[in-house]
Amino acid sequence: MRDKRMSLSQASGLIRDGMLLAVGGNGMHRNPTLFCLELARKPVKELKLCGAALGIAADVLLATGQADTAYFGFFGLENEAGLAPGMRKAMEGDGHARAVEGS
Amino acid sequence: MINALRAGAYGIPFMPVGGMWGSDLVSIRPEFFQVMKSPFDGKDVVCVRALVPDYAIVHVQEADAFGNARILGPSYQDALLTRAARKTILTTERIVGTYRLREEPKLTAVPHFLVEAVVELPGGAKPGICYPEYQTVDWDDFRAYQRAVKEDGVPQFAERMLEGRA
Repeated sequence: MRDKRMSLSQASGLIRDGMLLAVGGNGMHRNPTLFCLELARKPVKELKLCGAALGIAADVLLATGQADTAYFGFFGLENEAGLAPGMRKAMEGDGHARAVEGS
Repeated sequence: MINALRAGAYGIPFMPVGGMWGSDLVSIRPEFFQVMKSPFDGKDVVCVRALVPDYAIVHVQEADAFGNARILGPSYQDALLTRAARKTILTTERIVGTYRLREEPKLTAVPHFLVEAVVELPGGAKPGICYPEYQTVDWDDFRAYQRAVKEDGVPQFAERMLEGRA
């Protein structure tokens, strides 16, 4: 087994333009939110996202316009947190992002 | 969605899926759903295309330096995401010794050979919840996020949330 510890900046540097990312967690629960916020500080773009129940971490990358597609069964934050604001901004009206709902 | 990821995990191009009948999704997204005849009895069956993510990004409570990880509480579909993806990036509340994972091997949700990076990142799910470390949403930061989305200020919000982290 190899030691794979690295900094947040190093790990986020593995992500390249156009990659498909599976985002873990559910709604507001156990999302890799700080990782996605780190990506929000970088110029990476045209990301595609997927997950069974995308939440706030995926929402970040739609809010910044860095993700252009999301595959999901459900996308929201639930309870008092409500709908996912970045997803709505990217997908509603003349939004640029594409939703591929898989139920 | 789950069957698309299962197909990705199993290395097959698509998977039949039950329960899509009556849904407009099948006709709206022909690049994701197709109907075919079962080769066994000729009946129609809905199929979903495989998804093979380049990376699965998963936040866990405990991982060792090699990428063996435990998820405490609900694991959702995270183990499946790591199987479907080519490689996984873990962020973890803490790094633990491998001896701890060896005590209960069945609790290891992600094995090291699927993992490319392990980032020790306490609070990595904030402003959301990570049972049992922090069990309520940080509402001040969440509202700041909602405002940032409206005002195109998410990168600035990110700077503030990540202040002092390398």
